[in-house]
Amino acid sequence: MKRGEPQESDIVSGAVCWATAALFLLGFTVLAVKLKEVQVTDSAAYGYANARQSVRRVQTCGARGRILDRNGEVLAENRPSLSIVCYPESFQKKTWDETINGIVGSAALVGEAIGRAPDCSEAAIRRHVRESLALPLVAFRDVGERELAVFSEREREFPGFEVRETDERVYPKGALAAHLLGYVGRDRGEAIAGDEKFNFFMPEMRGRAGLEVYYNSFLRGVGGERKILVDARGFAIREWTVVESRKGPDLELAIDARLQAVVERELSGLKGACVVMDPRNGEVLAMASAPGFNPNDFVPVLRPGLYERYAKDPSEPLLNRASGGAYAPGSTFKPITALAGLSSGFSPSETYDCDGVFELGLMRLHCSSRWGHGPVDMRHALMKSCNPYFCSLAMSVGTNAVMSAARAFGLGSKTGLDLGVDMAGVVPDSGWKSSMYHERWYQGDLAQMSIGQGMLLVSPLQMARVAGALGTGMLATPRLKKGLSPELRPIPFSKAQLAVVRSGMRMVVAGDGSSRGTGWRAGEGVAAEVCGKTGTAEIGRGATRRKNTWFIAYAPAASPTIAVAMVVENGESGGGTTAPKVGAVLKAVFGESGRTGPDADGG
Amino acid sequence: MLEKVKRFNWIMFAAMLALVAVGTVAIWSAGNARDQRFHGMWISNLQAAAFGLVLYLSLAFTDYRRFLELLAWPLYAGALAMLVAVLFVGDTVYGGCRWLWFFQPSEVSKLCVIALVASLLGGGDEWFCRLRPTFRGFLVSALLVGAPCALILAEPDLGTTLTLAPAILVMMFAGGVWRRGLALMVAAGALTVMAVLCAVYEAEKPGVPAERREAILRYTPLKEHQVKRVRVFLFPDDDPQGSGYNLRQAKIAIGSGGFTGKGIGKGMTNHLKYLPPAVSLNDFIFCVYAEETGYVGSLVLLALFLALLLPCCWIAFKSRDGRGRLLALGMSSLVFAHVYVNIAMSIGLLPITGLPLPFVSSGRTFLVTVMCGLGLVQSVSLHRGLEE
Repeated sequence: MKRGEPQESDIVSGAVCWATAALFLLGFTVLAVKLKEVQVTDSAAYGYANARQSVRRVQTCGARGRILDRNGEVLAENRPSLSIVCYPESFQKKTWDETINGIVGSAALVGEAIGRAPDCSEAAIRRHVRESLALPLVAFRDVGERELAVFSEREREFPGFEVRETDERVYPKGALAAHLLGYVGRDRGEAIAGDEKFNFFMPEMRGRAGLEVYYNSFLRGVGGERKILVDARGFAIREWTVVESRKGPDLELAIDARLQAVVERELSGLKGACVVMDPRNGEVLAMASAPGFNPNDFVPVLRPGLYERYAKDPSEPLLNRASGGAYAPGSTFKPITALAGLSSGFSPSETYDCDGVFELGLMRLHCSSRWGHGPVDMRHALMKSCNPYFCSLAMSVGTNAVMSAARAFGLGSKTGLDLGVDMAGVVPDSGWKSSMYHERWYQGDLAQMSIGQGMLLVSPLQMARVAGALGTGMLATPRLKKGLSPELRPIPFSKAQLAVVRSGMRMVVAGDGSSRGTGWRAGEGVAAEVCGKTGTAEIGRGATRRKNTWFIAYAPAASPTIAVAMVVENGESGGGTTAPKVGAVLKAVFGESGRTGPDADGG
Repeated sequence: MLEKVKRFNWIMFAAMLALVAVGTVAIWSAGNARDQRFHGMWISNLQAAAFGLVLYLSLAFTDYRRFLELLAWPLYAGALAMLVAVLFVGDTVYGGCRWLWFFQPSEVSKLCVIALVASLLGGGDEWFCRLRPTFRGFLVSALLVGAPCALILAEPDLGTTLTLAPAILVMMFAGGVWRRGLALMVAAGALTVMAVLCAVYEAEKPGVPAERREAILRYTPLKEHQVKRVRVFLFPDDDPQGSGYNLRQAKIAIGSGGFTGKGIGKGMTNHLKYLPPAVSLNDFIFCVYAEETGYVGSLVLLALFLALLLPCCWIAFKSRDGRGRLLALGMSSLVFAHVYVNIAMSIGLLPITGLPLPFVSSGRTFLVTVMCGLGLVQSVSLHRGLEE
């Protein structure tokens, strides 16, 4: 080889080399500029798109708060429940159908091992894979100890299945205060498409009835946030908690569980309802409806067929009669009629000669005493529950006075109870009657109304308020939750007017010294002075004729702390059927006195 | 020998090794996102690189002029034979019949065609010297280049043809082939591309009835899947879950990398398989790399390619020998075309087409081929000014 100066090629000019180099530089400059746009200028948008497609945001739910009675007794709480869940990502196959079949098959195997059918149908699995792939699928809800033992022993045979702890609602006192507490259901977990904050909402307990509904947003925990990283097919890769969920606050009730149990015992086997409240602040101490149900039957899931059984039961165990039952108040309405009379200038000492029947045109209203009470003044009319007295009183003061007295006691309107079930009832007037029956208002309607019959409809809760208001002069809004500020409304009657009615109601229980009142059994053995009023409302005629028996009471007479209203369907009489039950309730509150009542020997 | 070592272009060599290193990391990351079989992909790729390096050095220290004289025609003939063979006995992968036993003839044939054109136009063959500037010369060289191109197109492998064409064009232009013909060809090609783009735009723009779409597309040479790619190029946001999915994921990967990237091995789009795993190791490897290293990484990669390609131009300039110049320009243009098309398609500057990114994509045939080609360029550098 010999060295020599290279000759310039005559074929390829050097300029071409520079041109090529320039071409390369130009090309790379274009790429660099476009890459800057993608990776720097628009980077945030692509980063967002990346996060949106590969991270699923899950709202977790906080533990639901407990429900306690006024003394801290637990009425509703959460118990740990173990479920066997399945992680779909462990069953990844080429096609979705293979994946789904894999889950179905494995769930069946687990089911065979623990001896129960999976809680998820194939359709449910298919839906889960389509909508909530990143989340675990609950295959066996709330497994028992024995099933769990079998599963744990053989867990390695079932890859992709795991035990997970969740909360389930439990009502430790069973059927106690069931109508009040209600029960919860669980929402289906929701999958949200689109640009929302969350992709999934974990199934949360949600009140379905009673206080669980009314205070649902109070009781529910504060949701947390979890994020799940998913691959291109949507299977979970890993997950982490962003915000911890927080437990919901406990709901403290004014209810006294011990008293509630007494009330329910008194009503057991019957149809009826009872409300015990503190008239000074409206706190409801007990509120029962019979027959009842066990809310534990409704959680975690309502067993199939059970709801229909409850719903079709002619005794309507799901109905909360205490605040939702519509009854004619019967004679318990008479104190209101009396006050209507007094406020219209009717003299309490004016006597009426009762001959056992009140006649108005063709209508004959019988008195409780077949041959009549003879001459009675207002106090004795109350004590003896004399129908003709109040009919004639109503005739003389007119419809409007009775009507406005009834409304002043909150009848015909909702009580404001913190519960969804709060029946307004009916205080009929001419307008109401013409719109309902296309008939005009007769004097007979007024006569019926004056003794709590006819079209008048009230709930036991409303009557408990009435009893309290009669005792204190203030109409209290009933409260189930403890610590709510009391709402009291004065009733528009003077002290003197109220005093007349109160002494009449006292005589109902204590008698007048010479004879017993109709409600004497309510005061028997109660270590407090009880005032009350019996009521026996007749419904229907002939074969379907039956009586709803009432008793309303407040005690102690001087400064009432307790107001009670109780109704028993198909009873004998207010004084015979209901008064002793109210007496038992009052004994539970005030204790038993050694003696059998000051005037027990009288009459 | 010492003379040669003195002329060894270290920049080009170092850039090549650096690119192999970058490729190894990218393949490692992309392979990890796939199943077990691909986890060792980076090792086999490194083995191929080692083999390529041996060939590179051997070719570098061989006089390219002797190499061309002896082997240009036989290699060309061999390449043609393999391209014919692959059509009949090749293995079909992803709809293209490209594999002959363990390698892809179309990749190897790129080098063979470039070698032949360098030899022919650079003055290696006496009989062609007089023909070169004439129409007949143009015709002969067009036929010689056209035959393998047609065979590759028949596989079908449009991408390879598209990257070979600019390299050959640069060489033919530099080699002084009948320039009016060349200009006409380029103009005709450009017009065709424009016409096809306009046709697809007219056919695919929103609100065009199906019959009209059919009628327009019948006049284009494109197959349905190519129409789809052009449509994605023209309307990238139309069908992000369907035909536009790959491009969208490619852009998300690159874009979400941001300025500094997510870190090696931490590319979410890649590892969660949003970037289609079937192409992440090859055609879309740049996305994997750019997601993990960000704009900084992209610039480093472009700089490395420049460090590889600009020395080629320098070597061509210094060579003063027709064959040497054409070889260096042809090889560098081939690499440039691959780099440009591959990156440009990932960011929506060009329609998507299956092309490897030199050194970075996994693909042993292509890696070895490119290293051989660059070995020849290094040889041009080493043998500058030395008599045969």
